[in-house]
Parts: sequence; C-alpha cells; structure tokens
Amino acid sequence: MLLPAFSLIRREYLRWIRAPTWVISGLMSPILYLLLFGQAFDLGKLLPPGTPAGALSSVLSGAPNYFSYFAVGMVAFASVTAAMFSGTGIIFDKQLGILQRTLSTPISRRSVFLSALTFRGILTLIPAFLVVGFALVLAYVPDVAGLSVGSGVNVLDALQFVAAALVLSIAFTSLFLSFGFAAQRIESYFGVVTILQLPILLTSNAMYPVNIMPAWLQYIVAINPISLAVNVMRMSLFGTAGYPYSVGVYLLGLLAWAVLFVGLAYSLASKALRTDVSPKGSALSEAIAT
Amino acid sequence: MTLPGSPTPSETVIDARDIRMVYPSSKPGTRGTVAVDGVSFQVRRGEIFGFLGPNGAGKTTTISILTTLLSPTSGAAHIEGLDVRTQSNDVRRKLGLVFQKSTADEELTGRENMVIEAGLYGLSAAEVRDHINDLLAQMDLSQSADRFVKTYSGGMRRRLELAVGLVHRPKLIFLDEPTLGLDPQGRAGFWRYIRHLRESKGLTVFMTTHYLDEADQLCDRIAVIDHGRIIALGTPRELKDSVGGDTLELTVAPGGPDPVAMLKAMPGVSSVTQDGDTYRVKCSNGESLIPKTVLAADQAGIVVSGVTVTKPTLDEVFLHLTGHAYREEGEVGPVTPEADEAAVAAGGR
Repeated sequence: MLLPAFSLIRREYLRWIRAPTWVISGLMSPILYLLLFGQAFDLGKLLPPGTPAGALSSVLSGAPNYFSYFAVGMVAFASVTAAMFSGTGIIFDKQLGILQRTLSTPISRRSVFLSALTFRGILTLIPAFLVVGFALVLAYVPDVAGLSVGSGVNVLDALQFVAAALVLSIAFTSLFLSFGFAAQRIESYFGVVTILQLPILLTSNAMYPVNIMPAWLQYIVAINPISLAVNVMRMSLFGTAGYPYSVGVYLLGLLAWAVLFVGLAYSLASKALRTDVSPKGSALSEAIAT
Repeated sequence: MTLPGSPTPSETVIDARDIRMVYPSSKPGTRGTVAVDGVSFQVRRGEIFGFLGPNGAGKTTTISILTTLLSPTSGAAHIEGLDVRTQSNDVRRKLGLVFQKSTADEELTGRENMVIEAGLYGLSAAEVRDHINDLLAQMDLSQSADRFVKTYSGGMRRRLELAVGLVHRPKLIFLDEPTLGLDPQGRAGFWRYIRHLRESKGLTVFMTTHYLDEADQLCDRIAVIDHGRIIALGTPRELKDSVGGDTLELTVAPGGPDPVAMLKAMPGVSSVTQDGDTYRVKCSNGESLIPKTVLAADQAGIVVSGVTVTKPTLDEVFLHLTGHAYREEGEVGPVTPEADEAAVAAGGR
C-alpha cells in the first residue's frame, strides 16, 4: 500500500542527500542569520540606559531579551525559506520526463502529491529545529546572546511549539509546492517565489514587535500565517501575557491557512497530473505534445 | 489491408478503434492540431508490431493514449480487454513503457532506478532482487549497475530504460523509438534481446520507429502512419509486394532474339519493360526466377550477360503510398500543396 509513495520519497531523499551544496546552504543560512543578524541587531540596546528590564520585556511580548524574541521568529523564517525550494523537484521531474514515467505506473495521483508534501515538509522542518537547538546552545556561550526560555515551560508548551512549527511547514510547503505543480519552468517558479518572499517575511512579527508598526500594517501582520505561528511559539516559551487571544485561536488561524494552501496545492497537482487535454492544456499533455 | 487470419478477440492484446487526438489550439478561434486522425488496429499476443512513420506523424501521441498518459479526443482503446480510459490503473499494471528520451534519474544508480520503479508497482526490493540482477546482466549493465546514471553512455542509458520498463515483468511493452541514438552494434544487440524476450517469454511488443530498416527486420507487422492516419498495415513482405514485388533485371547481348515473350510467360511476372538491352521484370519472387530465366534464355538462344534481382524497400512503399518521399529525421515535411508537389516531383513521379 505505502510502498509506491515510500519509493518516491526515497528517490527524492537520495537526490537531496547527493547534492551537498543544497543541503549545506539550506542549513547554513538560518544559522548565519542567528549568528550575525541576531547578535548585531539588538533592539534592547536602543533603549535609554536605566530603562527597567520589564519595559523591554513587555515590548518584546514577554521575551527576556531581543535575541530570544528574534530566535523564535527565525524558527519560522528558516521554515518558510526552506519551503521556498519545495516546488523545484516537481519542475525538474516534469522537464526530465521522470513525472511522465511515474504516471505510467499504477501509483495513485494522490500518493504522488502526498509523498511530495511529506518529504518537502520534513525538509522544511529540519532547519526550524536546528535553529531552536543552535539558539539554545548559544545561551551557554559566554559574551553571546542566546535563547533563554521561561522557567515554567512544560511538556504541553513544547508540544504547542512543535505543533505550530509543523502546521506552518505544511502550509508553506503546500503553497510553494502548488507553484511547482503550476509552473513549467524553474525561472517562472523562482520569479513568483522571489516576489512573494519579502512581503511574506516582512509583514510578520518574526523580526520586530508589532506595536512599533503603523496600524494598517498591524492588521496584515495579525493574519499573516508566520505571525500566527510565531505567536504560538512565543506564548509557549515566554508566557501568554499581553496577547489578545489564546494559543488555541492562533493555532486555529494557522490551521485555516494550512487547509487553504493544502487545498490549493492538491487542486493544482490534480490539474497537472491529469491526462485529458483542456483548452489551456495540462502540464503533462504539453510535455508530450512538444 | 485485411490480413488472412485476423486476430480472434482472445489473442488480441491491443485493440484500438478509431482513435482521434486533437490538441486544442492555444489561440481562440483557430483550429486545434490533429495529431491522430482515426486510427484503428489490433495487436496479437506475442507479436512485434511496428508503428512506422516520420517525425510528427502521431506515433508518440498514439503510444501516450495506449499507455493511459493521454485521454483521446474520441475513439476507444483496450489493453488486454481493459479500457484505457476507465480502467487506466489496471492497464498500467499490464504494460511496460520505454520512452523516447531517457527518464532515468541521473543522480541515482542504475540499480536504484530499477528498485524504485519496482516500488511504484508495489514490488519490494527483496521480491525483485534476482529479477533485477538478471535484467542487468541481459542488458550488459552488471558492471555499471551501481554507478550513477549520469556517468552512463547513450547506449547504456537506452539499455537501462528497457531494463526499467521490464522490471515488473510485463507481458506487453511499448517502445517509443527505442534505438534512437544507438550505434549499429547497440541497435543489433537491442533487437536481439527483444526477439529473445518474445521467444522466451511470449512478450508482445508495440514499437514506434522511423528507421525503415529496423521496422523491416524486427517487426512481424507494420502500420505505416503519416499525418495521423494509418495508410497501410501488413507484414513487411506484404507491404513490399503491394508496390509490385521484386524487380529482376535481365541484360542480354545485343542482336539476339527478343526475350519479352519468354519473360512474360514466366510464373509470377506482372510486367516487363525494356531499356535498351536491359529488360526490367516486375515479379513476385525474383530469386527463384533467376535460374528459370537463365535456362529459358539459353534454350531460346538468347545470350544473357547479366541478371540482378532488387527487393523493394519500405522507402518505395512509403513513396508509393503517400506520393512523397520518406522524410528523414529533422526534416520538416511538406505542409503546403506547393511543397507537396515539389516533393512528388523530387520523388520522380
């Protein structure tokens, strides 16, 4: 039953593990962000000397210092950045005829989609957890800011954190996977991804506190899936004080985005994998006709 | 062309009925491209059936329809009695497919490509281990099985494609231009193995080719396809006979008796034309006519200075059927009436 889907995942894994530059660059960039940007850009240092510690903490939604605040944002950032490569594999498969070969076998179209989502979803999660681990380790390095977690963090909080990271990764993996199914060429894929990259990241609370932004931007930031995930993660690690809604509300909002993006990806995948010829032509028929 | 002993339903493996495929035009208001225009044929079990035609004739589209990768605009096709449209997943289990271009994953080894392909059919690595080793050995790939495909030569890639297409032990295989880019030695080896599979496993083979000699030597029956239509269907022998069979050329010493009456009396002779001292005899079996002609000429006191027999080629068949010469790879066929006439003129008709 699962063997066909597992075979596709194994193929993607072998391809991925044999392209070490992709592996290393995918893992290195979030680490570099933490080390360089996170260490240099300390918002706390902008406050006048003598400001009580609590004042900074309240601006940073309960985080003890800016690096801790920023590190959680970087978890989401690392996930979304990694997800941006999710659609590349399917485009190469289309261009090289590997997709056509796959579709000539009895594997179900749903398995083709789910195996891509599973493998790419895992690839998206790995950098997120690396960032958490690295930021926690930095706390033990002298003269370097690290991620300090509130003393009251329990197993439930940790589970909430993981759930938010997981749903966020499913949402953005699906979004970029859907572009991969729709695009015929890698250039058009990265064209769309590059246009989306900055707005998605900068209209979130990953790097700066929401309350220093203008009101119109705050509305956008509030519904950005990255913000929703980051809220859940920060609430899990630093406490829930100062948030207008509960963890469950943010998690549900994030889940709604994930459902939307998975649905979009599934419908575009079905279109790309079907065998009848529409007036616009499916990906497959165009590949055969040319 | 109706064949003697048309296939009974039980031995029919491929049954295509009036398949049409029209690719819609991307510009509104213009007509689409008709790639396949009402194609019907049956392929029997154990047969090597060739689809012969120039590039763009509709061969790959037909294969894509028969292998469930494309839904036809109209018409029906059955593989082992299963409808390619409504029972596509069952059809996919029945057949193997070798694409025109290499579809193996470059970053994987030959063996990994085969194991993963088997997995897509629900066969575990343990189940197919011996079979894969056997296929690799048959394809002369045992030494390179664990090397990455990106290090393979063109010939090795084609052989790997065939091995991958056979990994789930299909009884029917589709080969789309299987020997494209192979050297003569590679092509000969490929043909040998296809024949071996047919003899030993009863494999049915549907192949497309634009090599006339390949179709002639390998196929039991050939459908000649041009502009999306089957214009002739039969054994290579039948097709060649349809253009008038062999040509026997008899050259006699000048000044002797006229051999025309004698030649016309020979069995199987359809026409005799004269060109100086050379007489061109259209006949059904040229070789057997040589000794008879020489003997008869001797008895009639005609001095024979030379006899040759030429077999018709599929090239002539194609010219005879379409009125234009066979287009070689890379050439664009005649698209306008003017160009068509030019091609006919160039063909000497």
